[in-house]
Order: sequence, then structure tokens, then C-alpha cells
Amino acid sequence: MIDVINLKKSFDNTTVLESINFSVKKGEVVCLIGPSGSGKTTLLRCLNLLEIPNSGAIKMGDDQLTFSERKFKKNKLLTLRKYSGMVFQGFHLFPHKTVMENIIEAPLIVKKQSKAKLIKQGEQLLEKVGMIDHKDKYPDSLSGGQQQRAAIARALMMEPAIMLFDEPTSALDPQLVREVLKVIEGLAKEGQTMVIVTHEMNFARRVADKVLFIDGGFIVEEGPPEQVLDNPSHKQTKTFLQLLDDEQ
Amino acid sequence: MFNSFNQIQWEYLFNFELVRDSLPLLLQGLRISMVIALFSMIFALLLGLVIAIMRMSKHWIFHLPARVFISFMRGTPLLVFIFILYYGLPVIGVQFNNPIVAGIVGVSLNFAAYNAEVIRSAILSVPRGQWEAAESLQMGFPETMWRIIIPQATRIALPPTFSIFMDIVKGTSLTSIITVNELLYSARIVAGRTYESMTMYIAAALIYWVVCIIIGYFQQRLEKRYNRYLNQR
Ligand SMILES: Nc1ncnc2c1ncn2[C@@H]1O[C@H](COP(=O)(O)OP(=O)(O)OP(=O)(O)O)[C@@H](O)[C@H]1O
Ligand SMILES: [Mg+2]
Repeated sequence: MIDVINLKKSFDNTTVLESINFSVKKGEVVCLIGPSGSGKTTLLRCLNLLEIPNSGAIKMGDDQLTFSERKFKKNKLLTLRKYSGMVFQGFHLFPHKTVMENIIEAPLIVKKQSKAKLIKQGEQLLEKVGMIDHKDKYPDSLSGGQQQRAAIARALMMEPAIMLFDEPTSALDPQLVREVLKVIEGLAKEGQTMVIVTHEMNFARRVADKVLFIDGGFIVEEGPPEQVLDNPSHKQTKTFLQLLDDEQ
Repeated sequence: MFNSFNQIQWEYLFNFELVRDSLPLLLQGLRISMVIALFSMIFALLLGLVIAIMRMSKHWIFHLPARVFISFMRGTPLLVFIFILYYGLPVIGVQFNNPIVAGIVGVSLNFAAYNAEVIRSAILSVPRGQWEAAESLQMGFPETMWRIIIPQATRIALPPTFSIFMDIVKGTSLTSIITVNELLYSARIVAGRTYESMTMYIAAALIYWVVCIIIGYFQQRLEKRYNRYLNQR
């Protein structure tokens, strides 16, 4: 489903991603962990093409995009972006639109689908994320957990092959974390392909087929959660997990 | 100065009868003021939006002219600009056959610069996450601008934009100097004929004030509407 090959991304003079290589199979759930500033967000944003890598290649489905310092065609970028939907740490719902308006906005405008059909589809999705009772509310009147569940529904409405989550619960009060994680676990059970940046190690153990540990611009270690989280073979991974344990 | 309060000749300060009698003329002038003001508000707003977007472009072909325009319009008096349009341009063969048109052009262009700056700062104050959320949902620049960013920026731009509208209404009085027979011009005619300057200019001032109060009322209503989605917990 996704192949990332020698991906490199730098800002001005600082290289954040040196050379990233990994693959995600269809239906797989991959959790991305790593220290603060290690480039997890940057990598996820590269997958959604919100950030343009300096070099390397990303392959999704049948489409591949090779990056170089030179400019490249914008429509190729859009082709690749269609594969993924992004859920942000800070939700970024559209505040001037109700929950229903938020989730039908993009398919209505981009895919030009009929509104009636979208509302039907939206109701089903909101049911699934437990937000149907709030469909006519504005984001400002919702809790963080509710906003994030609406944001998940909004991304799902575009029916992306891959869902990308950037620390979906780290802006939430502790008692709201569970309701959001439950929704994501539900998606995992349905076989949704996902890449999730998270610090919730227990959650990662439950949902992940594969855990990637990123540090210093490289994927340092990857494997099933039991291996990477409980029996890491690299020193950097051990140090990181030790630090997390100390915090909790 | 006057010696005592009792010596003030009140009828020279404000002569109600004169105002009543000249009201039809003043209102006729007001009509022309309003025509200039309304057209100028619309043009200044639309042009301001275009210039604001140009000003934010990364390409100098767009942002350089926008910057020069804003700088010139904000840095020169409206009155001087109106003189250039009406008395200066004929030298190069551009003649307004109607001073009202020159007035509309002058006021619109001048205030478009202020609108552009208000709109630009309002657009920039919409959080970046809004652009990114829309982009990640495959929405393009025009759709994002129009459907996501502008509605949020409008809420922020409302109060300063309405201040500009009031300035536009007041700015139309400058066109009296290029012989547009608007409100101030009418007041001046009566004042010149009757020597009751105080009465006539106060009357004109009060009429401008009333117009601005009405504009302020619309501002309030719009603000309420645009704040609807906030804080309804
Ligand atoms: N737009 C940008 N311009 C310049 N530097 C940036 C930009 N975005 C990120 N960086 C830098 O890239 C590095 C990696 O940032 P990134 O946000 O990807 O880390 P992260 O792993 O998501 O961290 P965290 O766990 O704190 O969210 C940081 O040093 C950051 O300062
Ligand atoms: Mg991050």
C-alpha cells in the first residue's frame, strides 16, 4: 500500500529526515514512535504531501512520486494525496461550520457528490464515531474528544485508502483519550490501513501490526509491538522507552 | 470673545428654521454623497480583496504592484489624489465628464488600500491549521480561500472594515472641492447665501453622524451573525 524509499526532508539547513525506508501493507496498522523532534510529524506530513520531501520516493497503490530538488508537477502530488486522510493533533475543524457541514464539505466541493447522499453517508459515519447527536453543533461547543472524533469522520468521508494520525489524543484531557482511541481501534478491526504517531504505548500494543521507532532521521528499529516495545534490540529504542516509563 | 453668556446670539449658532427650509437641498446633497459612498464601499471592498490576495502572493509580479499601490494610496492625501484625477489627468487626455465619477474612482482607489491591509491581516490571522486541514482534504486554493478562510477572516475584519466604511462616507465630503454637489457642497451654498455658517455646517455634521450611526447598527447586526458559531456552550 505504501512504500517509502530513501525519503529525505530538510528545513533550510537542518535535515530532519535523513533517509527513511519502510512499507505499509494493505490493512496494516503501523505505529510510529520516537523522541520529540525526531520528525514523526514531518514524516506523516510528507505522506500527506503537506510537506514536500527533498529527495527519495513515495509509492502508494499504483502511483509513485519521485522527489528531487527540482520542481515537479502539482497534479502528481494531488494524485498521491488522494490516498491518505490526515487527523491532526489540534483537530483543525472548520469553526464556522457545524459537524455535519464540516464532514461533507470536502466531498461536496472536491468530488462534487450530491449533498443528500453525502448527508446520509455522513450520518452513518457520525453514528460510528458516536457523534450523531452532535451533528448540528459547532466545533466550539464540543469537547476536545468530540472534536477529534468529528475530525476523524471528516477525514474518513473522503474514503482514503490510508488514514494518518498525528498524536490524535495528546491535546486531550486524560478522561477523553479513551473515547478517541476506541474509535481508532474500531477502524483497525475493520481493516483500515493506518499510520499512527502516538505516545500511548498500551494502545500501540493493542492495535499495531508493526511499530516503527524513528530517531536521528532514520527508522532505527521496526517490528511487531512485542518486539520493539518489550524487547528492543537497539540502545536508542531502549533509552526512549525507559524515559517514557519514568514519566509514567 | 463674548462678554457674557447672555450675549451669545443663539439664532446664529443654530437656526432651526433655516435648517428646516434648506433640508430638501441638504437631502438632495446627501443622496449624491450616498451614491458616491455606496459605490466606493463596494469597489473598495472588492478591489481591496484582490489587492490583499496579490499582496500575499509569493511572486513579485503580484505582490510588488500591490505593495506600491498600498504604499502610495496610504501615503498621499485623498484630496490630493482627487485633484490629480480631476484636474491633473485631463493634461494627458483623460477627462471625467462627471465629477461624481471622478469622486467614486478617487475614494474607491484610496480606501481600497486600507481595505486591502485589513483583509490581509484578517486572512493571516486565520490559523494555519485551517489551510492545512483543507489542503489535506484535497481542497484547492480558491475553494479553501472562499469557503474556509474568508468566512473566518470576515468575522475578524468586520469592525475595522466598518470603520473604513464610515471614513468613506466622511471622505465623500472632499469631492465638494471638485464641484460635486453633495452634502457639504449644499451646506456651503446655503451658508454662503445666508452667512449662517455655524448652522449649516452643524446641520451637515449631524447628517453625517446619523448616517454613520446607521452604518454602526449594520455592523452590530453582522457581528452578531458572524459570532454565532462561537461560545454557545
Ligand atoms: N516548518 C518547519 N520549519 C523549520 N523546521 C521545522 C519545521 N517543521 C518542523 N521543523 C523541525 O523539524 C524537527 C522535527 O519536527 P517534528 O514536528 O516532525 O517532530 P516530532 O517528532 O513530530 O516531534 P513531537 O513529538 O514534539 O511532535 C524539529 O526540530 C522541528 O523544529
Ligand atoms: Mg509531532
